[in-house]
Amino acid sequence: MSWRNVGVVYRKELTDSLRDRRTVISMIVVPILVMPIFTIGLGVLSVLLVGRAMLEVPKVMVLGGERSPSVLAALHALPDIRIVPARPDYAQEISGKAIRVAVAIPPDFDAAVSRGDAAIVRIFMFQGELKSGFAANRMQKFLADYRVRIVRERLQKRALPARLADPFSIEEQNVAPPEKVSGALIGGLVPYFVILLCLTGAMYPAIDLTAGEKERGTIETILCSPVSRLHLVLGKFFMVLTASLFSGLLAILSMSMTFLAGKKILEHLSSANNWASSLAVSPKAALWVFLMIVPLAVLLSAALLTIAVFAKSYKEAQSYLSPLTIFVILPAIVSMLPGVEINARLALIPVLSTSLISSEIVAGTYHWNYIVLIFVSSCVYAAAALALAIRMFQREDVLFRT
Amino acid sequence: MPAAPLISVRALSKQFRTYRRREGLWGGIQNLFHREHQYVTAVDRVSFSIERGEMVGYIGPNGAGKSTTIKMLTGILVPSSGEIVINQFVPWRQRTAYVKTIGVVFGQRTQLWWDIAVIESFKLLRRIYDVSQRDFDDRMEKFNTVLGIRDYLHTPVRKLSLGERMRCDLAAALLHNPPLLFLDEPTIGLDVVAKDHIRQFLRAINQTFRTTVLLTTHDLDDIEELCSRLMIIDHGRVLYDGPLAALKQKLLRTKVVKFAVRDSEQAARVAALSREGLELAQVDDLTYRIRFDRARISTADLIRQILACAEVRDLLIEDEPIEEIVKRIYAGGALQEVSA
Repeated sequence: MSWRNVGVVYRKELTDSLRDRRTVISMIVVPILVMPIFTIGLGVLSVLLVGRAMLEVPKVMVLGGERSPSVLAALHALPDIRIVPARPDYAQEISGKAIRVAVAIPPDFDAAVSRGDAAIVRIFMFQGELKSGFAANRMQKFLADYRVRIVRERLQKRALPARLADPFSIEEQNVAPPEKVSGALIGGLVPYFVILLCLTGAMYPAIDLTAGEKERGTIETILCSPVSRLHLVLGKFFMVLTASLFSGLLAILSMSMTFLAGKKILEHLSSANNWASSLAVSPKAALWVFLMIVPLAVLLSAALLTIAVFAKSYKEAQSYLSPLTIFVILPAIVSMLPGVEINARLALIPVLSTSLISSEIVAGTYHWNYIVLIFVSSCVYAAAALALAIRMFQREDVLFRT
Repeated sequence: MPAAPLISVRALSKQFRTYRRREGLWGGIQNLFHREHQYVTAVDRVSFSIERGEMVGYIGPNGAGKSTTIKMLTGILVPSSGEIVINQFVPWRQRTAYVKTIGVVFGQRTQLWWDIAVIESFKLLRRIYDVSQRDFDDRMEKFNTVLGIRDYLHTPVRKLSLGERMRCDLAAALLHNPPLLFLDEPTIGLDVVAKDHIRQFLRAINQTFRTTVLLTTHDLDDIEELCSRLMIIDHGRVLYDGPLAALKQKLLRTKVVKFAVRDSEQAARVAALSREGLELAQVDDLTYRIRFDRARISTADLIRQILACAEVRDLLIEDEPIEEIVKRIYAGGALQEVSA
């Protein structure tokens, strides 16, 4: 085994790749930019959309408003809704988003209330629709306030203290450490992006170093040189791995920076007691996530090389590799689903296990037994994939496929 | 005991496994589920030997098995059967040690790395081939003078013209000073000047260093100008192996005489020459061309007759172009004439 020759090939591929704009973009520019663009873009977009939804003056239909002039008057007094005339097809109007909600006041409402009989006010809404939800909340709040007003009036009439209506208050307070909160908020996102960027960063060099070399016709000449095929594939593999790890590392760094910057901005904008203050990836977590990514990057790089070397041309390689993207994205998405937690069986599934354990690490939880198990299992898969890639390079019918 | 030949090839064969593709849409669907293998013999029991210092042309139509032979000789492909011993190495078995003793140039490919400057490729090759810095500098100096590559050493390969790239490729192939050089279509796509330059260079290294050269080509001028020996291969079999001159001697059926007469009065008499076994054609007012069968008419007789019937101003005797001979060999039938 001559590491010198591997080094020569590695250096050659690295020099060659770094002069290639496409590699540089996929390996350096994309990982750096994806996270800030994604976070900021998504943040801005959600603020814009939610803001617009909240700003909208919802149309509310009051069914049976004539039954309670006092409720109707109070509703009309609300500045942030618009009352529209009652129609029998209110359900369709809501589904069709012509109006957001309808409030149905039961017959004989005022009399029932003053008698102290049970009366039900119904809010008809579009379940799951954001703007309808806002309007329904608004109505809930209005009716609750209205109810409190009635109770207060009654208490006042009987000269009883107002406290009687609400004997105690409720307050929510967070006790989880900040990184756990951020873990729950962004933990799923971190591994998803890092793993994906490890793949995309390595994909272009993997194609270029195999199918690209076939297409340019330089594979024959390099095979004619005194570099053995083992050294050749190892040199190429280390180059692809470098691209993969470098992309992953940049993604982690860029993400940490983005969160840091985001935190600063959000703190500046709102009060200190905000979830934003917990938005962070600790250096320790970043390091461990990177360590867990290493065997996965080996696996992905070797898999990319194995598949790409089959292809005769660049285009062919791209179409062979696109399914691989799905195999990587799918487990990463599964790990983001609510309720999916790491266990011994999931720890053996490549990509998914790394994704899950990385979420835990970002959240500040270190399950050492799983970390060891996942690292070892990933190493085994990686070794198998590398062995396969080496075998592929020994096969004439693969290298000279026609 | 005579020295063993530099290259010794015995009963060399190479088969490839391919899939038979069915035609049409239904065939395409069937192909997805069941594929039929078939074996294609690219090189079929080829034997030859080449002595040190020879320059040998290896020609044949497309798909004849030339490149496959070269790939086996350079150790990239493993033969299906047969034997190759080159410079005491078995190429595919002792590949890494063996390739340090050969240089390879593929005319349609390059061993220089596409996106990096030529000089960087040379430096990498120096490391790969373990060439000492001193030898490297000496040889670079020599290549600079002979091939004139100094001007574009710092240009990325993709920006070079084909001729420039070929010069660099030749220099790269010779960087480790190999005694044996394989050239796969070294002049393909080059213009006349570039071709000439490459040929001169090859002749020079062959004469100076006794470098053995095996080259495949489609350009028979390469052969005429460089090679004393010619091998013709088709359908994986060697059809001819011998000196170029002998091939011409045996296969040149016709010759061409071109002559110009003094004036139109003389021209009127030329028609009298017409007879069986020759083909008379008027090139312009006063110039004629006669193609004749060597077996039936002797050149000397014909010249005598031409001079007898008209006053000739100028006369030129030409051989049939070698392309014609090769065309006949590829088309089949000519082989028997050679062995006869």
